[in-house]
Amino acid sequence: MRVTILPDRQVKEVHAQTVGDLLKALGLLRDAHLVVRGDDILTSDVRLAEGDELEVWPVISGGS
Amino acid sequence: MRCHRCRGPANVEIRRSQTAYCAHCYPDWFRAQVQERINHERMFRRDQRILVAVSGGKDSLGLWHTLTRLGYQADGLYIRLGIADYSRRSQEKSEAFSAKFGLTLHQVDLELDHGFVVPDLLDTRSGKPCAACGTVKRYHFNKVAADLGYEVVATGHNLDDEAATMFGNVMHWNIDYLGRQGPVLESTHPGLVRKVKPLYRLSERETAAYAIIERIDYIVEECPMAGGAKSLAYKGVLNALEEEQPGAKYRFLVGFLKEGRATIRTGGFDQAADLRECVRCGQPTTAEVCAYCRMADRGRKKATSKDAKYGRRRAVAGTTEGLSADRL
Repeated sequence: MRVTILPDRQVKEVHAQTVGDLLKALGLLRDAHLVVRGDDILTSDVRLAEGDELEVWPVISGGS
Repeated sequence: MRCHRCRGPANVEIRRSQTAYCAHCYPDWFRAQVQERINHERMFRRDQRILVAVSGGKDSLGLWHTLTRLGYQADGLYIRLGIADYSRRSQEKSEAFSAKFGLTLHQVDLELDHGFVVPDLLDTRSGKPCAACGTVKRYHFNKVAADLGYEVVATGHNLDDEAATMFGNVMHWNIDYLGRQGPVLESTHPGLVRKVKPLYRLSERETAAYAIIERIDYIVEECPMAGGAKSLAYKGVLNALEEEQPGAKYRFLVGFLKEGRATIRTGGFDQAADLRECVRCGQPTTAEVCAYCRMADRGRKKATSKDAKYGRRRAVAGTTEGLSADRL
């Protein structure tokens, strides 16, 4: 499946069965990211299909 | 996973409470959490005017949206920090949000009104301006709120922000800061406006989910000057722990606020007794000249030397006192 990682919109081809597996495959922490398909945010147990187009949104911000 | 409320397919998982909500039920759950905290901490009432500190990010715009939906009188304040394209884009997001919902957005322009920008405030040791940027924001949020008669300033600090700040204060044993950390900072001087953090028990992931579901157009990218900031390192550590132990951040922060804070002795520092007015700007301070005025002097000096080096001229060389009325 094709995954676009925000904010730089870096595109990766990843094989994963579920959203949780996808984040693991990308080496990303669940609490620091949201996975979006179309207009829908997906929970970690959602099963993915090979043709899916997904976006990964980072949620961490701030400095000091 | 099923929605905890309607049993339909869920969209947002709340691992710390082993629940999940669908996109339809989630915003109501989120706003109810905020309302419960406002009530419990007695943050403000519906007859009070609130100034929301707006950055163009998910937390501040999500907070402004939530307060407005809950029926509070909330206006925004955006500070033009002068961090190149990042500031321009975050300003556009803030202005677009206020226009879309017909809300009042006040603005302060550091460069035009004060003669420097945040990149002029790099710390010589860390090479970062984050601490100085925090001082700039706290100063102007308080000053504008006091000048315009707002009774409370609300910031979008979330669970991750607060847990990371607390983690840093524990790492460095900043006992005074630990003793003062909390969701409400009471006014201890007539010139100090009350500060509240209505999102302090909601995680960054939850505020981002709220913004996405409510179609709030926010700036997703990180501040280019924050890369390598200590707070981001602390958030990384806490999120790694959260991966293995859902609820770790919540227990760390809320446990401290409930059980630990009251036991901390702050070494006799009495802010109310020690505060006086800055001889330059009149804002409350414990020194003769406040930290902001001293820092602004350094910023202007740096800006002037940069201008001389690159042959630039600024539109206005402002002073600390010179807020432009047209932008307020």
